[in-house]
Amino acid sequence: MSLLALAQASTSASASTSSSSDTELDAQVDFSTMLMHRQREYSGWFGCGTKMQPEPTDQGYYLEQYVLGVLDFSSQYGIEYSISYTAANVVGRPSKFPAYGDYPETFTMRTYGDWWQRAPSATQEIQPQNLPKLATHDYIVVYFEDYVVPTEVAIFETFNPGAVIRIWAYGLTKHWTCLWEALDTDLAPTSRNSRRFAPPLLKTTMITKTLRIDFNHSQLNYYTEIDAIMLCGRTVSGRLIQSILEEQARVYKSHSPLSKMGTGGPISCKLRTLKFKPNCREKNDTSLHEFISNDLGKFLLDNRQEDQLDTPACGMCVTDLPFEILLKILSYLDLQSLFSVGRVSRTFYDISTHPLLYAELNLKPYWPVASSELLCTLARRATMLRKLDLSWCGGFNEISPTEFKKFLTQRGDNLTHLRLNSCKFLNASCIENVGIVCDNLIGMSAIPIVQSFFFNLLLLSELSLRNCATDPPLLNFSCLANLKNLERLDLFQTAFDTELLLSMLEGNRKLKHLNLAFCGVSVNMDDVADHLATYNTQLISLDLWKAHFLSARGLLAISRCRQLEELDLGWCLREASLGDGLFQLLSNCPKLRKLFLSAVRGTTERDLLHIATLGKNLEQLDLMGILNITHERVFDILVHCPKLQLLDLSFCDNIMERDFDLLAEWSRQFKVDIKSSRIFDTR
Amino acid sequence: MHSLHWTSRMISRALRSSFSTLLESATGAGAASKVGEGALKSASPRPHFVSVVCGFAKDNLRHKYKPGKYGEDSWFKASTEQADVMGVADGVGGWRSYGIDPGEFSSFLMRTCERLVQCSHFNPQRPVNLLAYSYCELMEQKKPILGSSTACVLILNRETKTVHTANIGDSGFMVVRQGEVVHKSEEQQHYFNTPFQLSLPPPGHGPNVLSDSPESADTMSFPVEDGDVILIATDGVFDNVPEALLLDVLRDVEGERDSVKLQMTANTLALMARTLSLNSEFLSPFALSARRNNIQARGGKPDDITVVLATVAM
Repeated sequence: MSLLALAQASTSASASTSSSSDTELDAQVDFSTMLMHRQREYSGWFGCGTKMQPEPTDQGYYLEQYVLGVLDFSSQYGIEYSISYTAANVVGRPSKFPAYGDYPETFTMRTYGDWWQRAPSATQEIQPQNLPKLATHDYIVVYFEDYVVPTEVAIFETFNPGAVIRIWAYGLTKHWTCLWEALDTDLAPTSRNSRRFAPPLLKTTMITKTLRIDFNHSQLNYYTEIDAIMLCGRTVSGRLIQSILEEQARVYKSHSPLSKMGTGGPISCKLRTLKFKPNCREKNDTSLHEFISNDLGKFLLDNRQEDQLDTPACGMCVTDLPFEILLKILSYLDLQSLFSVGRVSRTFYDISTHPLLYAELNLKPYWPVASSELLCTLARRATMLRKLDLSWCGGFNEISPTEFKKFLTQRGDNLTHLRLNSCKFLNASCIENVGIVCDNLIGMSAIPIVQSFFFNLLLLSELSLRNCATDPPLLNFSCLANLKNLERLDLFQTAFDTELLLSMLEGNRKLKHLNLAFCGVSVNMDDVADHLATYNTQLISLDLWKAHFLSARGLLAISRCRQLEELDLGWCLREASLGDGLFQLLSNCPKLRKLFLSAVRGTTERDLLHIATLGKNLEQLDLMGILNITHERVFDILVHCPKLQLLDLSFCDNIMERDFDLLAEWSRQFKVDIKSSRIFDTR
Repeated sequence: MHSLHWTSRMISRALRSSFSTLLESATGAGAASKVGEGALKSASPRPHFVSVVCGFAKDNLRHKYKPGKYGEDSWFKASTEQADVMGVADGVGGWRSYGIDPGEFSSFLMRTCERLVQCSHFNPQRPVNLLAYSYCELMEQKKPILGSSTACVLILNRETKTVHTANIGDSGFMVVRQGEVVHKSEEQQHYFNTPFQLSLPPPGHGPNVLSDSPESADTMSFPVEDGDVILIATDGVFDNVPEALLLDVLRDVEGERDSVKLQMTANTLALMARTLSLNSEFLSPFALSARRNNIQARGGKPDDITVVLATVAM
């Protein structure tokens, strides 16, 4: 998961620092223009300019290659150092395909279906109108050995196929292209068979060796598992690649002196950097503007129809509406459309840049194009920023830490929600900032963000820093200790110092949601549990997935948080006996709605009886891999937990083959979704 | 054998190329060199094992032949750019009375070792780490795997031409050079017939079960020379075949590079062990050590037999 350090990192860093220095002369980046010209840039390499034309002898050959390595992923089922159910299994040839089943030699993600959205700890998306119809839940970025022009991408799915929704490729020109996107209909659950999924790709001439696959779990019955990914295409000659890279370097170099030039307006400055762009655009803009302001009236008069209704003189137009109404209308637009609207006229520009429309910013759906310039532009507009989501952005050095720090220092004073999942630009000094700036943070998810960030964020109530597992841990939170108002803290798969976490827990008495999945290796969970019981009794949801060394003592401590509605103890406690812990938990926390005890092998039959008698409000129950379950206990639970919706009984080896039919029958009768290890059941 | 070597070279070549050498690999020469380089490598002398496997399950009728296992025993072989790795594991049979298949644990241990060898964090000088990681992986499986087994892992580090070993329990290895045993593993036992073992007890039975950690393995490291014969086997061989007899067979095959002949020798050894184990009169090493422990025993010990035989070629 280390950030890919490209050879051009040095040049791009210098370009971004120079561009951030001048705020006014800097080309005011137009979001949609950016998207448009990027489209043209990478598709145009062979279109315009004769020097890029490949020689007929350079045809290259057809190459099929498997994944060489994994650069990044958003979540995995297994813990980092393991080779079971983790992202590292995607590397190389398929090991299990065409067999179908739940195998540890594959890549599995953490969630499936919409169960996590139904749980108490579900989060709301910030600026939901930005999301595409099929939102991405998880992704994985992989790289291959050789550059090719892609003709086919095959994904080998060995369990519950049907989660892939998008395939992206990262070209030599440092831009992401979407090679394939799923329609709604593609997502219907397919038959229970392993499949080699190779959708028809966009016809393109781009050259790539890095792919990103996006997944959406909403239609999945159970976990989906990927065995391998294959990239097929024509190779290109090394000479061509070299020339393209040199061209890139030249383009980047020309960025820095440009901002200092100052001649001409922002548009002409931008145009100077784009050597292959035809110059006609500017003339079009000005001539259109002239036409509208001068000649439109005359034109319409000249061409006036017989009926009077077409006269432009009478009637209301949109801009006659009150400002607040227009603001309300525009508030439904996604960010990209908002930028487009701003180009219509001066009035619309004024409305669309009003800070109230930028109170919530979500750049997660725009991760391919999020850059330092975009942040710079948004910083000018977002003076009243309350919620910010920069997850998944900046993966290939597109956003510089300094730019982000500046952004946060300028605009972070009123932040209440901050999500920085998988942000690769976060480094230690960034986290500093968050602690300093965002005292307001109520919800925080952080990926190693510079400490200085947190300093101003005094109002923060949500902080989300998922996937910051670097070594040494970036999260050395002394500034984060300033955050006192946190209600939600998400540290999924993040490395941090135990002391800091404990001091944060002490400081944030209002904490309601805490996610410490995969943190159990470096953190003493028993101490954390003790602190939670002492200082954070308002806790509603707690996720301790794979906290192997949590003991029965820790469980007893957790049971003192009486407001708990969701508790994920998957893979905790190992074989250790639970003692009285589960009984105490169930008695003290009557509001418990979601309880995950995946692979908590110490669960005894008595514990299952307690679940049946005390778990009145249970909606989701995961008992995967627990040996002491017999079908009688299952029946008890089904009868006594009326609100149960999900019951996971996979790998419960004591449930015999012959009982699976019974389970299917009960599933229908009690209207509970029961997951079991029988592959070919009818559910 | 050769095809395995070829595939592993392809994989290891792929693993070696790094991102900064994209220009190199992107040139047309890169594609052609895939074939050329492979051929080149086989010509240059590089220390490697020529290895073969043979064995018998104790109960031939019950156990259908499955690759990688002989009854409750299991073995693995793997190869990377830097090292050749071999190992055996012997599942402790006592678990059968608890309804647990003893072969599952040892088989999983060996299969995981095989996969772990190809990982980036594989250290060719620490076979104990390999065992430890493999043991940890057991706990990350959804399917509960219970039982226990002994293990013996051997790694040949090509660069330094040394062999590193780790042994827990009563499986072991023997190195023969110029007609003499130069290295041999020691049997690790708590009591008679109770070897050190890696185990995963059923939940709740933890304190009642003998469980040794991977760190308690015996480790050895020694240099090897061209022509050395290495035998890794489970106790089915060492308990039934006296050392002198083993030595006799092994010294004949020193320096042998033909895997067919090597296979014939391995087959001989396995057959010898099998015949002797079923013989009820013969004073096997097992019977002798039983007598040392005041137990009247005679004859061989029927047990699963696994023989992994390799010669070092440079």
